Amino acid sequence: MGLENEVAQLRRGDLDALSALLLRYQNRLYRYLLRIVHEQAEAEDLFQQTWVRVAERISQFDMRRSFEPWLFALARNLAIDHLRRVRPSSLDEPAGTTESDITAGERLASNQPPVLDGILERERAERLASALETLPVSYREVLSLRFEEEMKLEEIAEVLAVPLSTVKTRLRRGLERMRLTLESKYPGEDWKGQN
Amino acid sequence: MDRQMDSHEQIRKLLALAVAGALGSEEEQFVARHLEICDECSDELERWRALAGGLRRLPTPQPSAAVVERARAQAESRLTEEMEHVWHRVVMLSLVLYAWILTSLTWYLFRLITGGLLARFEPGFNHSWLLFAAFTSLVWATGGVAAVLLGRHRQQERKMA
Repeated sequence: MGLENEVAQLRRGDLDALSALLLRYQNRLYRYLLRIVHEQAEAEDLFQQTWVRVAERISQFDMRRSFEPWLFALARNLAIDHLRRVRPSSLDEPAGTTESDITAGERLASNQPPVLDGILERERAERLASALETLPVSYREVLSLRFEEEMKLEEIAEVLAVPLSTVKTRLRRGLERMRLTLESKYPGEDWKGQN
Repeated sequence: MDRQMDSHEQIRKLLALAVAGALGSEEEQFVARHLEICDECSDELERWRALAGGLRRLPTPQPSAAVVERARAQAESRLTEEMEHVWHRVVMLSLVLYAWILTSLTWYLFRLITGGLLARFEPGFNHSWLLFAAFTSLVWATGGVAAVLLGRHRQQERKMA
């Protein structure tokens, strides 16, 4: 059964379709929530809430739209509401064009010594994940949606409910900040040849 | 020379977006042309690609089976409830519609049988009155059933809340 069929069946109240969709998205949705809230217990709770919300709202879902951005937008709204209640400071918007952002970009544009070379894959992944965690939520989620979930830019804009230009700006700044974090934490290491 | 430097700096700012697949076609061509003649920017692009590749390959954390099962159970329960809710609304609307049709029909039947309101004073009045009473009772009974169903539904909703 394809995705569209599963969604159509779910709209008719088919419990098997619910199971199929849960199976299809369980890992990706959980990963996205974990990227937003960090805490495993909170991500698990939000994961459950998201599927309950899907059951509540599926009758309102417009079949002409894509299901995936709708699903991730539901999850995101729950996660952001949760953070607003529990850790409001974590939602502080990163400055738009502050000095620090410009500096980060300019510093990266300059000739930096190569970073990271010959490091074990697992170690690199841990470092990347840790650098990702240090980013503000708005950068973290856009990087996760683009590189982990491999969503199109238009879909990301739909999930985040922001214009396409904002998605691009957040992508660029998120990547720049991440690279800056890695280079300052692990100077002299080279990422080249690892992609 | 200055123009070349400007172009070089512009390209540097686009490289992160290039590995994110977020450049327009004109920007892509602009970057591609520059990369053909600039080894420095090509190296820089490789670094961005490495970072993007690393992000794509980050391990996927998985929810435990128990969490998935709880999510499934809760969602199934809510979906069943939602579907019942929809069904109840359909039944209620149908019953209301049915009641209105019966009421209208009663009036026309009453007029047809009695020949108008004044006919109730005629000798055949008793027979017509019984028919009217039967139809009215049916309408009220329908309304009663609808009210009971609605009450039970609301009771269920309160329990779930």
